[in-house]
Amino acid sequence: METKRKSPLDFTSKLTGQTRYIHDMNLPGQLVAGIVRSPHAHARIVRLDVSRAKEVAGVKAVLTAADVPDFAYGPTRFKDWNIFARDRVLFVGDEVAAIAAESAEALERALALVEVEYEVLPAVFSASDALNDSAPLLHEETAQNRPMHIRIARGDFEEGKKKAHVVCGGHYETNRIYQGHLEPIAVLANWSEEEGLTLWAGSHIPYRARETYAAGLGLPEDRVRIVVPPIGGSFGAKYVLKVHMVAAVLTMETKRPVKIVLDRFEDMLTAHPRVPLSIDIEIGADKEGNFVYKDVVVHGDAGARIYWSPNVIATACSRPDNIYRFQSVRAEGHLCYTNNSPTTCMRGFGNAEMLFAVESVIDDVANALGMDPAELRLRNIVREGETTIHGYKLDTCQLEACIRKAKELSGWDRRDKLPPNRGLGMALANHVSGYSGIDLRFEGSTAVARLKSTGEIEIETGEIELGQGMTSTYAKIAAQALQIDESLVTVKSGDTSKHPFGIGTLASRATVIGGNAVLLASKQLAERVAALIKDQLGAEAVYADGAVEHGGKRYSLQDIAAWHRARHAGDELSVKATYRPDTELPDASFYGHPSPNYPFAAHVAEVEVDPETGRTKVVGYWAVHDSGTILNRTMAKSQVVGAVAQGIGWVLMEDLVVREGQVRNPSMMDYRMPGATDIPPVEIDFIEVPDPNGPLGAKSLGEVALDPVPGAIGNAIAHAARARGTLLPLSAEKVWRMMQDKA
Amino acid sequence: MSSLDNKVSFQINGRQVRWEGDPVRALADVLREDLELTGTKIGCRTGECGACTVLIDGQPVNSCLIPAAAAADAEIETIEHLQDQPVFQRLVEAMAQTGGVQCGFCTPGIMVTLWAWLQDRTLFGGDVTSALKNNLCRCTGYRSIISAVEQVVEAEVSGR
Ligand code: FES
Ligand code: FES
Repeated sequence: METKRKSPLDFTSKLTGQTRYIHDMNLPGQLVAGIVRSPHAHARIVRLDVSRAKEVAGVKAVLTAADVPDFAYGPTRFKDWNIFARDRVLFVGDEVAAIAAESAEALERALALVEVEYEVLPAVFSASDALNDSAPLLHEETAQNRPMHIRIARGDFEEGKKKAHVVCGGHYETNRIYQGHLEPIAVLANWSEEEGLTLWAGSHIPYRARETYAAGLGLPEDRVRIVVPPIGGSFGAKYVLKVHMVAAVLTMETKRPVKIVLDRFEDMLTAHPRVPLSIDIEIGADKEGNFVYKDVVVHGDAGARIYWSPNVIATACSRPDNIYRFQSVRAEGHLCYTNNSPTTCMRGFGNAEMLFAVESVIDDVANALGMDPAELRLRNIVREGETTIHGYKLDTCQLEACIRKAKELSGWDRRDKLPPNRGLGMALANHVSGYSGIDLRFEGSTAVARLKSTGEIEIETGEIELGQGMTSTYAKIAAQALQIDESLVTVKSGDTSKHPFGIGTLASRATVIGGNAVLLASKQLAERVAALIKDQLGAEAVYADGAVEHGGKRYSLQDIAAWHRARHAGDELSVKATYRPDTELPDASFYGHPSPNYPFAAHVAEVEVDPETGRTKVVGYWAVHDSGTILNRTMAKSQVVGAVAQGIGWVLMEDLVVREGQVRNPSMMDYRMPGATDIPPVEIDFIEVPDPNGPLGAKSLGEVALDPVPGAIGNAIAHAARARGTLLPLSAEKVWRMMQDKA
Repeated sequence: MSSLDNKVSFQINGRQVRWEGDPVRALADVLREDLELTGTKIGCRTGECGACTVLIDGQPVNSCLIPAAAAADAEIETIEHLQDQPVFQRLVEAMAQTGGVQCGFCTPGIMVTLWAWLQDRTLFGGDVTSALKNNLCRCTGYRSIISAVEQVVEAEVSGR
């Protein structure tokens, strides 16, 4: 049973409160630190005086830009980060100074005594405004405030336009939502001459974080170590963070451990929400309903510096095209700097936003043609064995089966007979299982499989457990390869000085890319074990199910471990293996085969809209997935429901309201996330066809589960309200207005 | 204020504790920092997330909102104390089976709430979904948590 499995992130320790997150960890002599942040969206720092703060008893360090290294750095190719603002602040919350003190009281006192005089500058708050010639330039070297501009075109677009019989489209906007991780962002930092810098930080891309931070500090990478404690939720928020750097410079200055735990207010002010996109879209279909063209223009608000927003734009402009047989597509993407707090990834980034628009417009096309929206989708979807318009090779694709099953489970055929104000909506989604191009130098994953003296197996990986169940998936993969019980496998990761290099747990890489590495290492370990047995007992001895029966005797893995240690000066038997996916890096036009395999999903939502208030309640939800073989059914289902819940929040209630660069609702009281009563029963099914490129046939699941939710709920609302909402969130007020306008 | 005024006595996890400090300090901080009971988590400090739920005289409350002095002489139970209770153990098993835990940050608070509800089902109008109204979970979407509780209740009804 699951609860017996040993793992640092074991269920039992979480359920009994024993799991230690950063907030629960302390080091002797630890200081507490805090940050002075800009109250202005754009301003020149005229005077910065920290002398009074330095005099407070108990204050150990006060740092500003003048005291720290000044290297341009950043996690992507856009190196626009600095540790502290030097002469200009670019957004509300920009770091101006930081203080480390013996006590929270001393810290509070000192923070209040930092004197900053600003000269407020003109600011810009929307991506399209940022492109105007009159907009202030945020980074002088970036013309037009546009760090990224992409154009993608495929197929004969002009011909497609000519063939169109029905054209639907519109202007769509997706909201700035907060990842809503329950554990606030935190870091514990320690510096010593011998060890260098150690950061306990909940990053799920710790090696990239190490590279980024080392560059910012001017240190060689091997002087920076990132240790990843259990992460209390991230959903993209906890990759690479300035607060880690602030703790780093403070510990290097004071030579004492430094801890920073953001309170919820500061977390929401600076936690880098989902990149808001504005999308202009058009889809054309011929008389029979074949999609002849798709055209989109996307503007993305990066905020004042680049986290991972470029990848969001690229994904939005390309990925959803790989669900349908569009005869031609055209996309233009603009990523713009604004004086808002920087934005970054959230689960399903770029794809889920664009799918909201695409899936909405497809329903409009179906209405215009007088077709059932599910039938229109069935007519246009990609199939197994095909290569999609941007080059994705689909060795497996059960999308058709997903749609048929979702129809059956949801009772789709009652769609025309629903009572008033009820609606059923469908949406599809695809995703990748790891994307080649995240790190051009290496696309794979490495795992170590070790036979311990106890006869148990330890797996080390560079990927990170986020509570999604990665450790139990890996344990299952290793257990199968070694023919032993899962409870004998422990999975370890999250220490850049101990475990193998990994790109990080993003782009749904864990199950397929990391899992394949675990499978490879485990198989090789099994081979080494078999060889050792032959050596020890002779050719007729065979290993099976965790032991060898030979000459009337039974030898366990523990015995086998002892044989190896006896011959190798006490060394454990271990193998290290690297999986390199057989993918093709997308070219400059985004054509390629970037992932070992591609998961798909079809979702149906049922809603009831209150015509008096516009309030929407999701009353039923059906999610059918093609994720290949499901390795851990319980966690897979729990992840899908979790994604549906996030989607319900995204579409109906969540909105990080930012006016003039200032977050207006930075508390969980004012930013409402779904509670237990907001989530209807969710029925889930998997169409399980093993994929040849996945470990034991698996494809990814966590992100693709969120991708269709906004589209499905949006379509259900459109069906119920007989009016199309295009601006998220579809709050009660917006839906009410929509219904009034229609009437 | 004399130091005498700052002394509070609690009954924590069955143990009598005399504590001295700022009487308006949040109970959650006293538990976590002074008594090293870090099973009680802090997610928001505004009474919204429920990560800090503890029992005071059997009632689940948000310990981030309670000044230490307000809990004087009360019986406080934290997640650390519930482990040995058989019903709690059954809940642990059911939660693991249904996938009611992912990142685990909300989990201790939710377990305290659920345990309280299992003790006294009239507590929140009899319904486990409303019992969870003061606990947020961003990972699981709640349904697996609800099925875990249903499993425990069913097992009880059928006498297993
Ligand atoms: S920390 Fe107490 S309710 Fe969130
Ligand atoms: S399990 Fe992560 S917040 Fe509930």
